Amino acid sequence: MQNTLWRYFALYRSFFSHNLKNEMIYRANFAINIGLDVFFTMVNVIFFAILYGNIETVGGWTFHQTLIIVGSVGIIRELAYLTFRKGFLELGEYVRTGRFDVMLTAPMNTAAHLAFRHVSLTESLGEGLMGLVLVGYGFAHLDAATWISIPFYCLMLINSLVIYYGFCLMVSSLVFWLIKSQELNTMIYYFMNTARYPRDIYHGLGKTFFTFLIPSSLIATTPAAILTGRIDATLIALSVSVAFVFLTLGLFTWTKSLNHYSSASS
Amino acid sequence: MQKYWTVFRVNWQNALQYRGPTLISILGNLMHISVLLYLWNAIYKDEQRLGNYSLSDLITYYVLQLLINGMVLSYISWQIGTEIREGSFSNFLVRPINYLHYWFTINLSGKLFEGLLISVVGLIMVGLLIDHIALPSDAVTMVHFALAMMLAGILAFEFDFAIGILAFWLVQIDSFKYMLQYGMFFLAGALLPLDLFPALFQQIAHALPFRFMVYFPIQIFLGKETQPYEGFAIASIWIIALYVVLRFGLKRGIARYEAVGK
Repeated sequence: MQNTLWRYFALYRSFFSHNLKNEMIYRANFAINIGLDVFFTMVNVIFFAILYGNIETVGGWTFHQTLIIVGSVGIIRELAYLTFRKGFLELGEYVRTGRFDVMLTAPMNTAAHLAFRHVSLTESLGEGLMGLVLVGYGFAHLDAATWISIPFYCLMLINSLVIYYGFCLMVSSLVFWLIKSQELNTMIYYFMNTARYPRDIYHGLGKTFFTFLIPSSLIATTPAAILTGRIDATLIALSVSVAFVFLTLGLFTWTKSLNHYSSASS
Repeated sequence: MQKYWTVFRVNWQNALQYRGPTLISILGNLMHISVLLYLWNAIYKDEQRLGNYSLSDLITYYVLQLLINGMVLSYISWQIGTEIREGSFSNFLVRPINYLHYWFTINLSGKLFEGLLISVVGLIMVGLLIDHIALPSDAVTMVHFALAMMLAGILAFEFDFAIGILAFWLVQIDSFKYMLQYGMFFLAGALLPLDLFPALFQQIAHALPFRFMVYFPIQIFLGKETQPYEGFAIASIWIIALYVVLRFGLKRGIARYEAVGK
């Protein structure tokens, strides 16, 4: 067990440094990516700034508290690119061309191989850094900020990453039937896009929908709730359970779907 | 005229074949709009208010925004940029067809097709939200609205075409185009009604023509713009001026064109 873990860690490290070297060749591209991320984060901030210019709170969240939610989405996106996200973006191409054969036959878990092969530090770095700035800025302006909440905040970020991964696995499994992934990735993109609004705005059917079917309302609100001093045991328990269920279902769907892969061109 | 009709038909069939992606993007938009509807609902439930909008006004604003995103806002600049960058634009140089009119036709058929799909989704939404939709009571408003939507569609196409042919001058500009497009939509009122902006930004947005793409038609629909004739005139002037600029720009662009890879 320990050996396996160690081996995967080494594999991750070598994929990571290999990809980073590749990314560093295209320096202009890197700068443009950062610029684009900063631009879009700023648009989101301006949206909320204008909104809060007219009102006081949204579902009980003040402007600075909402910035923590918006920033958390950015951080989770970057964490996802550091672990699994880009592999799913490439998956459609692998399946279409039949290059997925290599993934299946390599002496490594297929899902981990797909994820690690494309780990990227720079792809979403601008969003991650802007996220940190926003969370820091929001945190500095809180009335009741406690440093002790930070480690718990980080734990819940990881929990959200697990939800995100489970969701990606389930949606991306459809690739083996559709043989293309662009629309699936669009769906995942929209999923993360709805995460930047406080969960407290939902009620009734919408709340159920954005918790159990498309769990985007938990992704950023749960960590942000902890940082803003709303320690809510029910919410944390809910998030952890949803993460567990989504990961389990995701892995199950993924494994089942692999059977449906019919290699092209070989 | 015959040739443009053929272009229209071919692209319509194309759109039919690729209805999957269109449907997904409509559903994605629908999801985002639904989230925003929950957002407004939560705000008004706490007895807060945005400008002079009632909750029904706001809900109507965003349902219409869904319709406008499908029927009016143009996204053809991506394909135009690729054609120019990868050299397949050369095919048009030898064809007896005007590139600007050609893309206008493609955009028109695409937008009509998407409009058809979105009307179905929109009608279901209106059915569900009927108590919260601020429908105009008189026919004049509907005529004004239809006219404003037409002008909006032409204007949106022209701006997007302009972004597309930037590729003659700037080679790798996908990200830049993205920002231009998004900035334009923001100033058009696609994310938030322009009269909620701080005063200075309101003035800026008002002086720019982008508001005619989203904000202006919706204001008419909501009955907040009962004398839209001045707006119609200004939008028409912009349309004509842009048309002249685009034809000139296209000419200059073709002179610069290097036919990469051909």
